[in-house]
Amino acid sequence: MLDTVREIETPEGISLHLRAAGALPRAQAWMVDLLLRMGMFMVAMIPLSLLGVGGNGLAMLLMFALMWAYWVVCEVWLGGQTLGKRALGLRVVNADGTPVTWLPSVVRNLLRAVDALPGVYGVGLASTLIDPYGRRLGDIVAGTMVIHASELPTGQQVPAAAAVPLPLVLAADEQAALVEFAERSGQLTLQRQEELANLLTPLTARSDTAAVRQLIAHANWLLGRP
Amino acid sequence: MKQQRFVKLHEREWDSLQSWLSALDRQAKRTLRQEQALDFPSSYRRVCHHLALARGRGYSHEITDRLQRLVQQGHRVLYRAPAPRWHRVAGFLVAGFPRLVRAQWRCMAAAAVLFYVPALVTLVLMQLRPELAHAVFSSAQLADFEKMYDPANAHIGRSSGTDMQMFGFYVMNNVSIAFRTFASGLFFGVGAIYVLGANGVLIGGVAGHLTAIGCGGPFWRFVVGHSPFELTALVIAGGAGLQLGLTLLAPGRQRRGPALVAAGWVGAQLALGAFAMLLVAAFIEAYWSSIAALPDALKFGSGALLWLLVLGWLWRGGRAGTHGA
Repeated sequence: MLDTVREIETPEGISLHLRAAGALPRAQAWMVDLLLRMGMFMVAMIPLSLLGVGGNGLAMLLMFALMWAYWVVCEVWLGGQTLGKRALGLRVVNADGTPVTWLPSVVRNLLRAVDALPGVYGVGLASTLIDPYGRRLGDIVAGTMVIHASELPTGQQVPAAAAVPLPLVLAADEQAALVEFAERSGQLTLQRQEELANLLTPLTARSDTAAVRQLIAHANWLLGRP
Repeated sequence: MKQQRFVKLHEREWDSLQSWLSALDRQAKRTLRQEQALDFPSSYRRVCHHLALARGRGYSHEITDRLQRLVQQGHRVLYRAPAPRWHRVAGFLVAGFPRLVRAQWRCMAAAAVLFYVPALVTLVLMQLRPELAHAVFSSAQLADFEKMYDPANAHIGRSSGTDMQMFGFYVMNNVSIAFRTFASGLFFGVGAIYVLGANGVLIGGVAGHLTAIGCGGPFWRFVVGHSPFELTALVIAGGAGLQLGLTLLAPGRQRRGPALVAAGWVGAQLALGAFAMLLVAAFIEAYWSSIAALPDALKFGSGALLWLLVLGWLWRGGRAGTHGA
């Protein structure tokens, strides 16, 4: 429930990180889709109403398409995103992390009828809360999941400073911790930076702002900057 | 190798791959025709290698995050499914669908029993005890049926509306019922059993009641044309639902998850086939069945022919030898 990141190993031996989307953004995307479809239907009704009774038949065909086909067509053609999902930055993917294909999309959207059952998406809500990856029943049977498509902002860069070699050899994880501190220093308040840097006074032989500067200089050296 | 040097060595490749992938998002067709598209798979795999190296050597997040993003974007492009091919639709309808129905013949037979037995029992009961009609339908419904199948009506099977309107209505109504029948099978098959049985009683009830009161002629003339497609599609959708529920109950020698995914694929194909059949049924029902002024021989003859056609299609379609499949 808490960790919604799913790792999928690719044939290259790299793991992909997919962030499962929970019930709330999906409900919002569904709402956007609902409004859009209602809007499309109303706009189409204007010319159809001029056709008289036969127009009713066309209107019902359109309603059928908006009820059942809209999801599949959008998901397959727009790379796993209906218009609502695109607005909310969500994407439907197959189990291997690729955009959803025909049959899985048909399965998950036919079984929408089950997920939507008691009232508004009661079964689907229960299922997304229970499943570790927030899948509704249709997703489980189709082998798909809904993920956040937008990329997280990448980490900040280590501030540039003249490199100073470390006075002693540090283990790999200690080096990584030092570089991470330098990378994140921009996001920390000055006081917190100093508090953390003061823990390493035995290494830097300095305190407060000078210690922070020294650690950033060491990090620059570890990265191989001049 | 220090991180800075590693970045210097490979940064140009990452940048060019990144710009190619971004261009692909904007103008897919043109970008795929570029020379660089040929180089993409090997370039992508090199970047995967760089990411593994960067993780192994403990480089900072600045590099690993950037490469991770690039790899995820590339993965989406390299492993995406090929575009759907439309000629396979015809192949599926002619051969693949009947084969699939035959492969699931146990569920289909069960669905047929669940539908036709209540229908026939109701039909026979209505002949013996006509007052039973009031137990199944309200008097307003009965009056509506009697009006729809009144022998004096020029358009049988409907109380008002044009062909086009009824076509839209039949598609919307029947296909939605078929899709829901399939989906509700996920509740251990209970939903599909209920829908099949209830529809059996309803259809048998209408037929029985109209036959009992002497409006049977127009009714049978109306339904004989589209029933082969409509009833068979309903049974197939129900069978697909049963198959899904049965997999949930008894997945066999597989874990439930993978077994359900496989059953879902089969079920979706069956539902799509049923959808195609219901489109045909709605077309016949709206444009052919409703014509009252045709001789009985033509109506019943064409109906019998269509029944033979549908059953023959499901029985022989896609067999080796007939289609070389």
